[in-house]
Amino acid sequence: MTLAHCVVVASLLFLIGVFGALTRRNIVGILMSIELMFNAANINLAAFDRFLHPQGAVGQTLAVFTMTVAAAEIVVGLALLLAIYRNTDTAYAEDYHLLKG
Amino acid sequence: MIQTAAFYSLSALVLASALAVVLHRNTVHSSLFLGLSLAGVAGLFALLGADFLFAAQIMVYVSGIAVLVMFAVMLLGRKSDLHLRQVNALWGYALAVCAISAAGLLKVARGFAAAAPAAAPVPSTAAVGRLFLGRYLLPFELVSLLLIAALLGAVFFSHSEPAEGPR
Repeated sequence: MTLAHCVVVASLLFLIGVFGALTRRNIVGILMSIELMFNAANINLAAFDRFLHPQGAVGQTLAVFTMTVAAAEIVVGLALLLAIYRNTDTAYAEDYHLLKG
Repeated sequence: MIQTAAFYSLSALVLASALAVVLHRNTVHSSLFLGLSLAGVAGLFALLGADFLFAAQIMVYVSGIAVLVMFAVMLLGRKSDLHLRQVNALWGYALAVCAISAAGLLKVARGFAAAAPAAAPVPSTAAVGRLFLGRYLLPFELVSLLLIAALLGAVFFSHSEPAEGPR
């Protein structure tokens, strides 16, 4: 296990998340894909901290900040989704075209 | 040796369940696979010697965010969703974007092949706590403010009565 292995795993996880965020029709699916991308970034932070900066913990601290922002993001995202769902009665992204006029 | 085996099996678990999250037709199953994938990432953190991140991942992601997503899926889901396509028409372009990015990212990753692991990892929770209350005190307080704002925003938006003001 070298740093390259961790970076490859994190890249693949990030790309799976990108693919999901671009292609899922359900908004909850898009939010889940965004969580996968956050996790890929966290793996990278922990791996670089372990391999290149073994005596400090700055990378892990930044990963905890990322985690907090991700939690806030998903809470507000799901609350917004519930509010929109109550008005439009759909959870699919292509049906949200109120601003098109 | 055992570390390598653990790394490969955890990576396979994380990537396979992430693919299931993205591709599964049933959103409830998809959210369950999200929990599995996040738990695998927690295992990777433990393998990398990040003990505090391991605990935080389990507490925040696996038992917080995954359960919250499951609640949302079950509140919003309908039976007819199971027969609908969950992937939009432009998936070919998305696949092309991902393939091109994968080529670039793997080229970048090849540059780090020489970095071998240092000595055995030491517990880092105390160091993380010292950084939180020392060098990163201001971001720490800002993040707590952000959490309060997210809490109030969630209560505001999911309130069943429409609030006053233009709608």
